Amino acid sequence: MKKRKSDLTFFQKVKRHRTLLLMCTPAVLFFFAFNYVPLPGIYVAFVKFNYRKGIFGSKFVGLDNFEFLMSSGKLLELTRNTILYNLAFIILGNLLAVFVAILLNEMRSKWFKKVSQTIMFLPYFISQVLVGILVFNLLNYDTGFINSILTSMGMERWQPYSDPSVWPVLMVIIYLWQQTGYQSVVYFAAIMGIDGEMMEAAKVDGANGFQRIRYIILPSLKPTVIILLLFALGGIVKGNFGLFYNIVGTNPILYGTTDIIETYVYRATMTDFNFSTASAVGLYQSVIGFIIVMTVNYIVKKIEPDYSLF
Amino acid sequence: MAKKVDKDMMESGAKVRLGTSDKVIRGFGYVFMTIYAVCCIIPFLIIIGTSFTSEATIRAEGVQIIPKDFTLKAYDMVTKSGGIWWSYLLTIVLTVVGTLVGLAIISMTGYALQRRDFHFRNAISFYVYFTSLFSAGLAPYYLVMVQWYHLKDNYLAVLMPLLMTPWLIILMKNFVKAIPHEITESGKIDGAGDMKIFTALILPMLKPALATIGLFLALGYWNEWYQSSLFLSSKVDIKPLQYTLYEIVNKTDALKNSVAGQFINLADIPQESVKMANAVLATGPIVLLYPFVQKYFISGITVGAVKG
Amino acid sequence: MKKKVLALFLATTMVAGMAACGSSSSDTAATTGNDSAAASEEAPADDAASSDSASTGDAWDAWSDIDTSEHVVINYMTTGDKPSGELLATTEAALAELNDILTEKINAELQIYYISWTDYLSNYNLTLAQMDGSVDLVGTASDWLDAWPNAKNGAFLELSEEMLQTYAPKTWASVSPEHWELCKYDGEIYLMPEDNYAQWTNHGYIYRLDWAKAAGLADGVQSWEDMTTYFKYVKETYPDIIPWDSDGTQYATMAGGWIASHSDYVSIDGINAAAMWGGTRDDLYTVYSPYVTDTDSLVEFAKMMKEWDEIGVWQTDVLNNTASTNRDDYRVGKVAAEQHHTQTWTDLVSHTSQNTIYQDDPEAESGFFYFGQETGNVTALNITHGAMAVSAGSAKPERALMVYDMIRNDEQCYRLLCYGQEGVSWEMTDDGMRATPEGYNADTQNVNGVTNFWWGRNDDLEVRAADRDWDKIDALYAEYDGIKIDYPYGQFILNNDSIQSYIANINEVTTNYLKQIAFGKYSGTAEEIVAEFQQALKDAGIDTVTEEIQRQVDEVYGAE
Repeated sequence: MKKRKSDLTFFQKVKRHRTLLLMCTPAVLFFFAFNYVPLPGIYVAFVKFNYRKGIFGSKFVGLDNFEFLMSSGKLLELTRNTILYNLAFIILGNLLAVFVAILLNEMRSKWFKKVSQTIMFLPYFISQVLVGILVFNLLNYDTGFINSILTSMGMERWQPYSDPSVWPVLMVIIYLWQQTGYQSVVYFAAIMGIDGEMMEAAKVDGANGFQRIRYIILPSLKPTVIILLLFALGGIVKGNFGLFYNIVGTNPILYGTTDIIETYVYRATMTDFNFSTASAVGLYQSVIGFIIVMTVNYIVKKIEPDYSLF
Repeated sequence: MAKKVDKDMMESGAKVRLGTSDKVIRGFGYVFMTIYAVCCIIPFLIIIGTSFTSEATIRAEGVQIIPKDFTLKAYDMVTKSGGIWWSYLLTIVLTVVGTLVGLAIISMTGYALQRRDFHFRNAISFYVYFTSLFSAGLAPYYLVMVQWYHLKDNYLAVLMPLLMTPWLIILMKNFVKAIPHEITESGKIDGAGDMKIFTALILPMLKPALATIGLFLALGYWNEWYQSSLFLSSKVDIKPLQYTLYEIVNKTDALKNSVAGQFINLADIPQESVKMANAVLATGPIVLLYPFVQKYFISGITVGAVKG
Repeated sequence: MKKKVLALFLATTMVAGMAACGSSSSDTAATTGNDSAAASEEAPADDAASSDSASTGDAWDAWSDIDTSEHVVINYMTTGDKPSGELLATTEAALAELNDILTEKINAELQIYYISWTDYLSNYNLTLAQMDGSVDLVGTASDWLDAWPNAKNGAFLELSEEMLQTYAPKTWASVSPEHWELCKYDGEIYLMPEDNYAQWTNHGYIYRLDWAKAAGLADGVQSWEDMTTYFKYVKETYPDIIPWDSDGTQYATMAGGWIASHSDYVSIDGINAAAMWGGTRDDLYTVYSPYVTDTDSLVEFAKMMKEWDEIGVWQTDVLNNTASTNRDDYRVGKVAAEQHHTQTWTDLVSHTSQNTIYQDDPEAESGFFYFGQETGNVTALNITHGAMAVSAGSAKPERALMVYDMIRNDEQCYRLLCYGQEGVSWEMTDDGMRATPEGYNADTQNVNGVTNFWWGRNDDLEVRAADRDWDKIDALYAEYDGIKIDYPYGQFILNNDSIQSYIANINEVTTNYLKQIAFGKYSGTAEEIVAEFQQALKDAGIDTVTEEIQRQVDEVYGAE
């Protein structure tokens, strides 16, 4: 007689699932080696790090390393910037992606669909180093593309690199430019998965295009939206360093509107190289991100258990 | 699947009389999508155009899409130095090896983690997901990599950390979820082991998933510069492409090195166009790769997205 | 280990003591210290001065007692980009020849570990943090390469006097006790200073003297106002030329230069990048920050820089420019000014093969307007502006010291490392100058520009470059010598444990505001931006920091 699963001892379970366990082993080892092994080193955030004594031999200083963030009074501002940018990225990104996906779905020319999808995807392929170069070539005052056009039309030149107020909009546009192609394909795919008969029925019932979008397409996208949002939330206090650093660089005029936690810490630790401070900030971000994800996941689990991450 | 749906809808769309609102949406759609696609592609055209433009024109008239005075000087300089071909080779090897190994591990893990009868799946799932929340930060990571694993100046330091991410594993899990459980069951009935079921029955059905995740992995490797900047010191002569590009953009000496041996004076180098030529060469291949995998890629995302 | 060192020390001092008999006193002779140490100092110093390599009866003879049976490779870390192609081959060939000598003498060889200029500071520090023996000798600097922070966090090995006397006897002897004092932190020596090398690294503007004269400045640029006149003239007369294609990183030097030119301020190096604290020439040890007190002067500065910006001295998006090629552009006449230190001027003023402006235009001349010129406020270099340290992670520190002693004090080794192979990269002229050989190609043969041995250059072994305009250079050096004061804060190393977070915040504030001020990129009036800057400094806690520095300065130099 076969035993019931729950009656098996731990070792029997291991034995029974040895192949599946083996299949997981490389990944488990990988995360162990590259994520869990360094993890205790988080302790570096609480010491005055001495190279020779190592992380665990160094002098414990409590929360001293967090002081620089606290004392500057910048922590709140930076956290706010970081979160607001991420929110804008997440919300506008998803809205635009859904919008584009719906439009794509309405297109009838196959050729047009394919070509526009390919082109939309292009920006997703390039490194952030290149994004920085692209943006500078587009916007810079002396040789920038936009300014060349403005001049040739007899208009005054535009100085975005001296004007902090335009950057929240610019950063969001740049982000959307890079990410929408990918995200819209995800949603487009979800729309294609909608039952064709339902759409037909709606048409026969005389539902017009707007009504079909409102009552059929949008509701069916809900699960996809929730999953993507949940995943994005974990990183909501983690800024996109590569994007911001490659675009803004060290131009202080723009810091007021473009400074996120990562860029600030990078600058502060670059001049006075300090592992401990940087780690303190990282820990702060992880803890906040962890709390947010746990909370949201808990709420989602209560409302719609199917959508929770774990 | 998805394609078929699309086709059905197209045919039926032609039959049903178009309402005004449909026409409005469609018309707006074509206009909007055209503008959007143009916005997407213009920056690329600028880079390509600039790479063919002479320095004097750039200084005087700015960057341009259609070069006023076409010149191949920048490409000539970049390719003559030879260094870039080695970077190419290195990047291609890293990308191919990393993508294949990563795919193998991710697909095995993804399959095991979604097997409903696998006792440890929740524990391992959380173990994997947790790493996306907490990381040790630069210092401990760097010291472990360098002091324990001795990976400084070793290409493995670039290859290994990019093999997988929690997100890719979860994505793969979702792909596998879309495959009916009955397939695994039927395999079991035929007496196949788990590994056999996976390789013989599941893997062939995962083609779109493999294309999708493979593309993500390949992109990750192709665009990698951060690990290189941390772990590859001057002892390593050949650096991955994007890191080379990063150095060229940010440091004039590197710019000079990229055309080494031909001029000692930076003033003689058409800086802007050389930078752009490097950018074109560094990005071109991965962009050109896309149309070939697009078919799988989009249908791959389709499967992954529907179930979430 | 300790025992062995001690034994060797005794042996060395005895031999050295004997060798010292009858030697003349050198300019760096010791005045204090124990007798044997003092005796050991004189001989090698004298020997080094006579620049006679491999001479018999010198301090290195004692090395024969040291066990060098194991062949070791000493990695020397320096900032600089690794060359490629033929230049690499030329460099390697020079190193191979150097290593033959090192192998024969001390069974060791030298390898260069380059820290590329891209993100050099973080790579430098990360590499030091490794502590796995991948580097042995570390080129460092108290003012621009975090020498003291690294000494404090355990990256550098404490160098005992015994060790130095035994393994680096010539270096030990050539550096005076006063100078060794300046290399100590917490009573331990960490650095071997480059203290016998005449160089001036005070900054200023290098400009076209012939154009300045044409602009009506008969004596060249004598003040910041003259500089304005000059830039205006250049912009009007040569519209194709960017007067000064600066990058966005020069703000601190510019502001510091302005302050030096308009006050008696003497800065303490190594506290932060902008060197914001110091004293005055007649009251050195009363600490203040001119960025807090000299409001009117800063406002003037802000106004003038706004004017420069409006003239179009630099490119509009200068703050996003990180990779300027201004210096090379100056050489060929694409720009009209360069901001850097005197050392760079000595190159640009000379009619070298690279500086084609002089070939293109026989009238061309370069002038130097140094910061502090108006007020005669020039401070000589701190000796730890360049220094060598030994990594605490080194598995063979003793051998590393021996290698350093050789490359710093042996004529042949020194010249191979600094200039490359004689006949390939350089040759001696009849009047004892260093010239480039027939058919020389700087692209492939300029070893001098690769090895960057800025951590132990030695005037006793230096060979002056023949293509330098030494009349002009010596004249300027003489002018400096007439007005300079020695760097007065050499013994002061700030313990910043309690104020580190304040300084980090002050750095941030300073970068933000000073960049805008120094490139005239602020909105509103000059008065407003300066007031805002000063308020932000106050909020960041600059007064607390000033007080703490004062307290520590008092500890070192005594309260008045």
